[in-house]
Amino acid sequence: MKGTLVMRGRTLRRTVLAASIATVTALVATGCGGSDSDSAGGGGKELNIYAWAGEIPETVVKRFEKETGIKVTLDTFDSNETMTAKLSSGSAAYDLIEPSQYSVQQLIGQQLIQPLDHSRIKGLDNLAEKFRDPSYDKGNKYSIPWIWGTTGFAYNDKCIPSATSWKTLFDEKYKGKVYMLDNMLAAYIAGLQVTGSRATSTDEGEIKKATEALTDQKKILAGYNSTNYPQLLSTGQACAAEAWSGTAMAKVVAANPNVHYVIPEEGGSIWTDGLSIPKGAKNTDSAYQFINYLLKPEIAAMATDDGGSASANAKARDFIKDKKTLENPAIYASDEAIAKADFLLDPGKAMKHFQQGWTKVKAS
Amino acid sequence: MTTALLAPAGLTVVGLVLVPLLLVVRNSFASADSYGGIQGGFTLANYQDLLDPIYLKVFGYSLGMAGLNTMVCLVLGYVVSYYLASRPPQRQMLLLLLIILPFWTDFLVRTFAWINLLSPGGPVNSLTDAIGFTDGPSQWIPSQGASFIGLVYAFLPTAIFPIYASLRGVDNSLGEAARDLGCGWWRVHSRVLLPIARPGMLAAALLTFIPTLGVFVIPVLLGGGRDQLVGNLIVTLYTEFRNQPMGAAASVVLLLLMVASMAVFGLAARRLRRKTA
Repeated sequence: MKGTLVMRGRTLRRTVLAASIATVTALVATGCGGSDSDSAGGGGKELNIYAWAGEIPETVVKRFEKETGIKVTLDTFDSNETMTAKLSSGSAAYDLIEPSQYSVQQLIGQQLIQPLDHSRIKGLDNLAEKFRDPSYDKGNKYSIPWIWGTTGFAYNDKCIPSATSWKTLFDEKYKGKVYMLDNMLAAYIAGLQVTGSRATSTDEGEIKKATEALTDQKKILAGYNSTNYPQLLSTGQACAAEAWSGTAMAKVVAANPNVHYVIPEEGGSIWTDGLSIPKGAKNTDSAYQFINYLLKPEIAAMATDDGGSASANAKARDFIKDKKTLENPAIYASDEAIAKADFLLDPGKAMKHFQQGWTKVKAS
Repeated sequence: MTTALLAPAGLTVVGLVLVPLLLVVRNSFASADSYGGIQGGFTLANYQDLLDPIYLKVFGYSLGMAGLNTMVCLVLGYVVSYYLASRPPQRQMLLLLLIILPFWTDFLVRTFAWINLLSPGGPVNSLTDAIGFTDGPSQWIPSQGASFIGLVYAFLPTAIFPIYASLRGVDNSLGEAARDLGCGWWRVHSRVLLPIARPGMLAAALLTFIPTLGVFVIPVLLGGGRDQLVGNLIVTLYTEFRNQPMGAAASVVLLLLMVASMAVFGLAARRLRRKTA
């Protein structure tokens, strides 16, 4: 699950850079190459992609352009909400987008993406098992997972000898040294699981219990932070912090042996960003070509080597050059660690309970 | 002729201010679909929901913070402006330039600079440790205090300029005359200079109070996201909470608060003019 206001776990430089790139690229007109708006096929030699900043490496795009002669325009966003807003306003014509799992559910509901034609997709069985036929999109009907990650927490062992449970983040012993992600859905993963519920709960009573736990927890928190918490953990300003796996966290885990990233024993959660084709996409031929390209193990490996993210492609493992990343839990969590982790789903109508609860926590 | 000349300005106002504003007002009365989008219809539910104490608390806190920030900015703004205005003209330009200089850097970057300044091992901490102000490294950030420092930092220049503008033309001999007639330091300011600076102070208050209500980055970065301003509430309503109609309603309430405060400041200005006239 990701940050909305600020990009998850990335440095300021990248945030600012990404924001400016997004602004500049948004100004670049998509042109008029598309010949036919027929969703069954068609389109010219161009492809307009809208993806998470940094998740589709430039190297992948360059190689694809060279091999196919298709001109790719890659725009980036830093939250699912930004992407959805742009898509639903109808102001942008994209051929391929990269929503997170709960966002896929919402986009299906809002009828903003189209079912994929599986006869045109090759290499789906390269994906790891948990990304084939996932709970949020049965049969991969609307999306093909590309990147995945986890939500857990990290701690510095100079301050906390060892930790395996969310309870660490609720422990008064560490008052003033604990941070939570500044994100409602992420905070409720901890809140729900620490009170014995599942992260996917939509039950009013369970959400209420989680709200109470999070309100109590606020007294011991140093603050909510979705930006520089890996640095705070590394310098010891934070003893423990709720964390998203990914580049920033992985770098700190690799560089500082005192910092450990764990998926809590209560379950934690996993997220994935995948490829979907918006309704009314003009260049669907190119879009399918790109999906198939990303499903190739040697290309998927570049997501890790060049992009620093975990690939949903199981066969990519053999092609990843930097083998150390495979053992870094802040990139690739082990199968045992995520055995109990759920995909966070769209809360649907329960959203209002979360909204009231989170505002209550923040205003307490 | 005049109409033709005014057309571009009129169109800009209508297209870029009025239309978006009306859209927000319209949306604030709409109901949300299950994905938080605008569904249409007419309902007062969004405003009713805002009456819940948890939301009122956010509005109250914002008004308090904005008021406090305005007061601190006015005091500091007056002190700095007085100093500026009493320098030789050449020097004044240089000092003004120094105040404007930070604006050449992105606001987000300057806020991150404060994170470094206030963090343990940073200059502020080293200083307070060295003079024994606190024992041991203290936690300056994140805190409400850090958030407030960020607010004052962000709005102080905006407060300085109008006050400086009203003090700039003042003849130095006015102060001298007051002193010759037996006024002490305090009375020189309270009886002579402050009344002259008052229109500038009023403008400064307006320029500080209203934008503070809409701030949302500072509480997140310096305050550790613990206390929300209305700006934060609106952003979360539009994004994380996926409740656009209620976000629109909160925006309209914020707008009304701003108009109300402008009216208050406007009335004050009018009374001031009448008094001086």
